[in-house]
Amino acid sequence: MANIVLDQLGFAYPGASEQTLLPLSVEIKDGEAFALLGASGAGKTTLLNLLSGLLVPTTGRILFDGVDVSAQSGSERNLAQVFQFPVLYESLTIADNLAFPLRARKAVNGFSAADIASRVTKIAGELEIENLLKRKPKTLSLFQKQLVAIGRALMRPDVSVVLLDEPLTAVEPRTKWQLRQSLKRLQEELGVTMIYVTHDQTEALTFADRVAVMADGKILQTASPQEVYEHPAHEFVGFFIGSPGMNFVAIDTAAPDPMYAASGVDKSAQRIGFRPEWARLESPSMNGPSSAVHWPARVTHCQILGTQDGLPVGITTLASEAGELKVRGAINMGVGDDIKVTVDRFVSFSDEQYIATHYAQSSTGQLANSVGDE
Amino acid sequence: MLRIQNVLLNPGLNCGFDHDFLPGGMTVVLGRNQAGKTNLCRLIAGLSTQAVGELSLNDETLNKLSPQKRSVAVVFQAFVNYPNWSVQQNIASPMVAAGRDKAYIQSRVVELAEKLGLGELLQRMPNELSGGQQQRLAIARALAKEAQVLLLDEPLVNLDYKLREALALELRSLLDDSDTTVIYTTTDPKDAFTLGDDLLLLEGGNKLQAGVPLCVYQKPNTFAAANLMSDPGINTFAWSTLTDQTFAQQSQAAGGVSALGGVRPEHLFFVDKSEFNAEECIGFDLQVSALETSGDETFVHGVVQASNRGLSGHQLSDRQLSDPKYSDHKLPDPGTVNQPSWVVRSPGMLNFSQGQVLLVAVQKRDILAFGGQ
Amino acid sequence: MAINKPYNNRAWLGVLPVLLIVSFSAVIPLMTVVNYSVQDILDFNSRFYVGLDWYRETLQDPRFIDAFGRQVLFSLSVLAIEIPLGILVARGLPKSGAWTSVLLILLAVPLLIPWNVVGTIWQIYARSDIGLLGVGLNELGLAFNYTSNPTHAWLTLIAMDVWHWTSLVALLSFAGLTSVPPAYYQAAELDGASKWQVFRYVEMPRLGGVLVIAVLLRLMDSFMIYTEPFVLTGGGPGNATTFLSQYLATMAVGQFDLGPAAAFSVIYFLFILLFCWIFYNSVMSDETVEDVVEDRADDNETRHHD
Repeated sequence: MANIVLDQLGFAYPGASEQTLLPLSVEIKDGEAFALLGASGAGKTTLLNLLSGLLVPTTGRILFDGVDVSAQSGSERNLAQVFQFPVLYESLTIADNLAFPLRARKAVNGFSAADIASRVTKIAGELEIENLLKRKPKTLSLFQKQLVAIGRALMRPDVSVVLLDEPLTAVEPRTKWQLRQSLKRLQEELGVTMIYVTHDQTEALTFADRVAVMADGKILQTASPQEVYEHPAHEFVGFFIGSPGMNFVAIDTAAPDPMYAASGVDKSAQRIGFRPEWARLESPSMNGPSSAVHWPARVTHCQILGTQDGLPVGITTLASEAGELKVRGAINMGVGDDIKVTVDRFVSFSDEQYIATHYAQSSTGQLANSVGDE
Repeated sequence: MLRIQNVLLNPGLNCGFDHDFLPGGMTVVLGRNQAGKTNLCRLIAGLSTQAVGELSLNDETLNKLSPQKRSVAVVFQAFVNYPNWSVQQNIASPMVAAGRDKAYIQSRVVELAEKLGLGELLQRMPNELSGGQQQRLAIARALAKEAQVLLLDEPLVNLDYKLREALALELRSLLDDSDTTVIYTTTDPKDAFTLGDDLLLLEGGNKLQAGVPLCVYQKPNTFAAANLMSDPGINTFAWSTLTDQTFAQQSQAAGGVSALGGVRPEHLFFVDKSEFNAEECIGFDLQVSALETSGDETFVHGVVQASNRGLSGHQLSDRQLSDPKYSDHKLPDPGTVNQPSWVVRSPGMLNFSQGQVLLVAVQKRDILAFGGQ
Repeated sequence: MAINKPYNNRAWLGVLPVLLIVSFSAVIPLMTVVNYSVQDILDFNSRFYVGLDWYRETLQDPRFIDAFGRQVLFSLSVLAIEIPLGILVARGLPKSGAWTSVLLILLAVPLLIPWNVVGTIWQIYARSDIGLLGVGLNELGLAFNYTSNPTHAWLTLIAMDVWHWTSLVALLSFAGLTSVPPAYYQAAELDGASKWQVFRYVEMPRLGGVLVIAVLLRLMDSFMIYTEPFVLTGGGPGNATTFLSQYLATMAVGQFDLGPAAAFSVIYFLFILLFCWIFYNSVMSDETVEDVVEDRADDNETRHHD
C-alpha cells in the first residue's frame, strides 16, 4: 500500500501537437478510495496507463511512497489492475487464478504454499466465492468472473495500488451495486489504495472518498463526492455530474440585475449555476422572498419519471429570459403554462471556471467533437 | 399500422402473442437481456432469427418480403456504417439504392446531416468519427430510407451515459413530428418515460403488458411487470405480514385476495418518528447496508427490522427467493440471506452510515397488490 | 436448446448440388479404387475376384512396412520441429505496425511455391558440387552428400519440409495470438508472470484451437508427401527416403500392379483417417468432455448451496 504523488505529470504522444494530458499534480493518500471521473477522451485512460507503467510520462514524476517510479515497469511498481472485462487465466481453476500473483512472485516475496492457500481462503471468503474455487472460469457468469478478477487484484498483501478501469462495464445493471459494495467493503477492510476510473457519476460518487473530475486532459476538481456535487469548482463539473446537469445563467456584468446582488450572488460572478432540484416553480403572481433569484418562464416540455403520492414527478423544461431551465419536482403544469422559477441556492462562477461553452450548452455534437480522438 | 400476430420470440415457447404498434408513434420495448428484444427487431426487419410470427404493415403481410423490400429501417447497438464511404455517401446510400434523383438526394443529405449535428463532417470517413457521431450517422442513414417503420435496437447502449442522455432527448424531438412508427428497445425503465408514447414489456419472450408508460407504471398487471418497470427492482412483502389489518382487509375487499405486496423504491421515504402518519402510511425500520448515489438521487439498500408500524419485518417474504436476479450469485452480506433486503430511492445526496436504523414509510395508496402467483 | 423453426422438406433439394459434386470428386473415385483392390487385373478383359488377398499381401510386404515406418518417423520429426518453431516465429512477430504485414508476406512466400519447384530448389541448393548449402557444408569440413549418405538425405528432406511448411504453422499461430486481448498480457505482467508463464497460461489456451488445425493439416500433408522427395532424392539412396506414396507410385504407375496398388491406397487412406480421428478425439475429449462433466457436478453443488 502506498501513498501516491503525481507531480506535474503530463503526457503527449510522440509527434502529436497537443498534450493528451496537461501537467497535473495530485496526491492520493495511503488507503484512499480515489475515483477519476470524465467522459471518454478526457484523458483518464492516459492517466491510468501512466500509473500502470504502460506509458512513460513526457513531463513530471510519479512517486510511490516518495520513490520516483516513473521509469519502472508495472510489475516493478507492484500494482494490480482490474479491467473492463474480466481477465482470467482460462485454463486454471478459480483457486489457481487467485493464487497466481503470489505464486509468480514466490521467489521474490517468499510466500510458502501454506501462506498462499490461507490467502486464497481469506480473499475467497471475503468475496463469498468459496464455492467456485474448483471451477474453471468459463463456467462462471460475468458477474462471478469479475468478482474473481477483483479477488486476484487483492491477493498480494503488499500491493501498492489497485487500479480499476471501468470494472462494472460488463456487469448487468441491476447487479452492479452488489459488486461495487463488495469492492468498497474490501477496500475498507484491507486498507488498499484504489484508483477507480469511470465515466459513470454513480460509480464515482458511491465508491470514492475523493473524486477527480477530468475533461480535456485536465483535472478540474478533486474533492469529496458531496463537495463535487454541491459546490462544483468548475462549470463542467456541474454539467457533467447530475442527470440532467446544472442550469447555468449568464449575468450581464456591465449592467447586472440588482436581483442578483440582493440574493447574495458574488459581485465578481459572471454566471450562476443551480441544480434542477434547487429550483421551485411558483405561481407568477406570488411574491417570492427577496433573497431568491427568480425569472418568469413558460413550460416547454414535461418529462414524467414516476409518481409521488399519486402525482406525477419528473423534469419540467422551461423557456425564460435566462435561457432554457430544467427543474426537478412535481409536475402539475402543462406545456405553455406561464410560471415563475425561483432559486435560492446556487453556485457562482467566474469566466475562468468556464470551460468552452459547448459543454454547458449540451450541444453533444460539439462534445462528441472534442472527444473524437479516443 | 404494424401488427404482429402469434409471435414466438425465443425458442422453446409454445404460446405466441399479438401486438399492434402505435402508428406514427414511438413504442419503447422494455425487457432485460434475453427477453427477446433483438429477436423481435430482427423478425420485423426480416433478418435471420429464431423468432417466428406473422407480420403485417397496413394490412399487407410482410413475411414474404425480403428485408430489402420491407419499408423498415434498423439501427443496431453496434455502430454500423459503410466504412469506406464518407458521411455524405453513407447518408445518401439508401436513397441511391431507391433510385431517387440527384437533386433530391443532395438536399435531403444536407437536411439530415444538419438535424443530427453532422453538418460539418460530411466529408469525413466513419472511422474519423467518435462513437456518438458514428451512431448519429447510423440514425441519419436509417432516416434517409424514409421507411414506415424505424427499429432502434438499444442504439445508445454503447455510449457514455452523458452522451446517452443527450442523444435520447435529441432522438425524441427528431422523431416527434414524423409519422414513422418507431420501435425502441431498451433495458432502462427511464427510457420508457423519456421516449415512449407507448410501452411494451417483454420477459422471457412473452408480452407482460402494454400501454401508455405512466399507466403501466401506475397499474402493473403482474409483479413481473411492476418489477421490470422499476429501477432498482421493486420491494416485496407477503400480504399476510401486514400488521395493519384494517388496511389489509380494505384492500382485499377492493381488489380481491392479494398474496404479494409491492412498493416501488421511489415511493419509500424517510420520516421522523414524531411525524409518522399511521392513517395514511405504513412504515418499518430499515437498517442501512449500502448506499449508491448519483448526486441527484440516492439508493439506500437496507434490511427490514421488526416494527409495529404496519409492517412486521421478521415475517416478510424472502425477496431473494422471489426474484430471479438473485439466483445467479449470493448477496454480498451473509447477514441478509434470511432477511428481506429493501431499497429506497430518495432524491438528493444522502449520507447515512452503514448499520444506521431509519424509519421508512410508504403511502398506503402507493402500495401495489398482486394476486397469488 | 431446441430451435423452433418451421420444417420444410424441400430444403433437402438445396443440398443436392453439393452431394453431386462430392460424389463425382470423391465417392466415385474412391469406390473405383475399392473395386480394383479386390480384383486381380491382368488386362482390361480378364479380371478375377480375389477377395482380401491384396490387402493381406500388402500388409505383409516388408517394403510396405519399411516405407510405413519411415513415413511415421518423417511425419513425427517434421511435426516436432515445425509446431514449436512456428509458434516461436509467431511470437517473435510484431503484433501491429507496417513491419507486420511485410513480414507476414515474406513468411507466406514458401507456401506459394509449387511443390516440385521446392524440390528442385533444394535439389540444387543442397548439391555438394554446386549448391550453396552443400558446398558451404563441405567447406566447413563436413563431408556432406545427400545423394549417397542416407542420413544426409533425411536431414535435407526434413530441412526442406521445415522451410516449406513452418510458415503455415507460424501464420496460424499468429492469428491465434492476435486474438489475445492486450489486457491479458498486461494483467499477467502486473501479476509478475514470467515469460514462460505468459506463454503457458495466457497464450497457449488461446492457441489450442489453431494448433489442432495446424497439427492435423501438417500430419495429413506430411503423411502424403510425394513430390518433393521424388524430385530431390527420388526415394534414394537405396530405399532410404522411399515413403508410402513413392512406393505406391512405383507400384501403380511403374509396375502397373493395379490390384495391390489399390489395396495399398485404401489402407493408406484408412491410416490417415485413423490418425486424424485418434488425434482429434484425444485433444477434444481432454478439454471439453471432462470440463462439461465437471461443470455439471459443480452446478448441482452450487444449486444446493444457494
